[in-house]
Amino acid sequence: MVPVARRILLTDRRRALLGVAGVAVALVMALTLDGVFAGTTRQVSHYIDTSPADVFVSQEGVRTIHMALSVVPVAVVDQIRELPGVAWAEPILFSSDALRVPAGRRPSYVIGFPRGGRGGPQTLVEGREPGTGEMVIDDSAAALDIALGDEVEVMGRTWRVSGLTTGMTSIVNTSVYVTFDDLATVLGWPDTASYILIGSSGDPEAVAASIEAAVLGVSTQTRQRFSAEERSVVKEMSTDLLNIMSLAAFLVGLAVIGLVLYAAVLSRLRDIGVMKALGLGRLGVSRLVLTQALWTVVTALALAVAVTFGIGAIVAALAPDIDVVVEAASLLRAGVGAVLVAGVGVIIPLIKVWRVDPATVFRRTS
Amino acid sequence: MSTTALAARQLDKTFGEGPTEVHAVHGVDLEIQAGEVVLIMGPSGSGKTTLLSMLGAMLRPTSGEIVVDGNNITVIPESRLPKLRATTFGFVFQDFNLLGALTALENVEFAINLGGVTGRHARKRAEELLTRLGLADRLSFRPDQLSGGEKQRVAIARALANQPPVILADEPTANLDSKIGHDIARLLRRIATEDKRAVVMVSHDIRLKDVADRILWLEDGAFRELHTMATDPICGMSVDPKSAPHLQIDGEIVYFCSTACRDEYATAGSNGTSHRPA
Repeated sequence: MVPVARRILLTDRRRALLGVAGVAVALVMALTLDGVFAGTTRQVSHYIDTSPADVFVSQEGVRTIHMALSVVPVAVVDQIRELPGVAWAEPILFSSDALRVPAGRRPSYVIGFPRGGRGGPQTLVEGREPGTGEMVIDDSAAALDIALGDEVEVMGRTWRVSGLTTGMTSIVNTSVYVTFDDLATVLGWPDTASYILIGSSGDPEAVAASIEAAVLGVSTQTRQRFSAEERSVVKEMSTDLLNIMSLAAFLVGLAVIGLVLYAAVLSRLRDIGVMKALGLGRLGVSRLVLTQALWTVVTALALAVAVTFGIGAIVAALAPDIDVVVEAASLLRAGVGAVLVAGVGVIIPLIKVWRVDPATVFRRTS
Repeated sequence: MSTTALAARQLDKTFGEGPTEVHAVHGVDLEIQAGEVVLIMGPSGSGKTTLLSMLGAMLRPTSGEIVVDGNNITVIPESRLPKLRATTFGFVFQDFNLLGALTALENVEFAINLGGVTGRHARKRAEELLTRLGLADRLSFRPDQLSGGEKQRVAIARALANQPPVILADEPTANLDSKIGHDIARLLRRIATEDKRAVVMVSHDIRLKDVADRILWLEDGAFRELHTMATDPICGMSVDPKSAPHLQIDGEIVYFCSTACRDEYATAGSNGTSHRPA
């Protein structure tokens, strides 16, 4: 078959390119937003994902760290340590505040962990773990002009920076580590933990279940489940915003593809009349317009994916706090959205070509 | 023995209704044999294009029937008309109407595709047709790279794409110079004779009379007897004495296609110049 649709579309290369670029811009918007969001949710659960704990114990009913307050008596730690399958148990305290430094403010999780115990920074790129009145901050805090030995204000008191960790800063916030006792004093919560980290010597699911059965007033989750819950709560908080942005991208793409195809159809009405006169039926002209639409969006999608990966690489180099992660689900959504845009965008052009009278071929062009 | 390729019986076409009603074609009877070239002439607005559109299954008549190869195409459902047009008719237009995005070869191949043949067979047949019409070295040229005569030959090759029994040509020589126009006219004649196709031409070009087996005069939507027609001495057009502007000179009535030709004739006479048409 002669590839009429493609030939006609590419006759005016500038218009075809503009169409592809327009749809690609809309898709890049959606993909990048999705990528930033996916990166952020991944960063949000970084503490949990990199924790040595297999099971997390929280106050009964509390399923997340973010947007939650969990209070568990420290006394239950010893009780848990006695349970079968429990290799170790460590309490942590958790709060949030803003770091105050001369260069500005930065929202931060504040994690208190036992000196010499687990639950602290997994990687120390510089310095040492915090002692009394000290904290470990993320190395990206360098952007705030903080260095080892500097003083930082958080939770209403001043702390000296003893070490730098990494990977704990997202577009939303960062994390700092202090000792359990210091944070308990600042919070005024003696004998209280926020969460208890559990290392298991057996199946984590079974250990979680046995803790929940043995200790009153607590909930348990494996690391994977706790991480998923954490990402889920962040996603739920941002769903409306994402939907609005996706809708905006969809509408921009729709407008572009609709206009491009409509302009292409308008400029080729006589050709369409000729094709109909020669014997191209309704199905044939529909296929012609749909093929042009699909060509435009598929090319635009490929371009958008490449550009989004490019943006991710540039962002990673320029702003390490922002992680752009293009997930398969996001690509699938963009693909479905693009096809949907093509499907809706062709409606008006289709109606136009259906109405072209083949007898117009007998009208003079000059 | 001659075979009827196309027949129209009591063909009527009315546009609008009530006070805006226009009878574009009425009471047209027509029978064209395979291998015959019929030239339909007539003044502008006489219904030629409407008639051609109906004969080519692009416009449904208000009443009457059109029979092609024994089938009454006026009762065929709308959805089947495109396929019928692709396989039964070949069209040649004044403006050539080639698809500008396609090469000469693709223009013909596309028409063959519409007839249901695809792939190598379609391409080979398109090459053969264009070669037959002397365009073997123009296969990959786009229409804007071809001369007027070459474009019309591509259009004729396209019209022959699916070996239709009927070729409908709308002013096929109007956009061509005299020599090329004559070549195209002879080509259409040859196609009719050699391939036994019926060729219906609608034209103002009196040179096409040379290749036509029959000339029909359409005026006000109906055929008139050509032998009763008069010739405008200025432009050479055939005109109907019943309705044409005229002048009486030395006891003889001279008929014109329009008042403009009549005035020109009268002015030329008063200046002592010749009344003979150029």
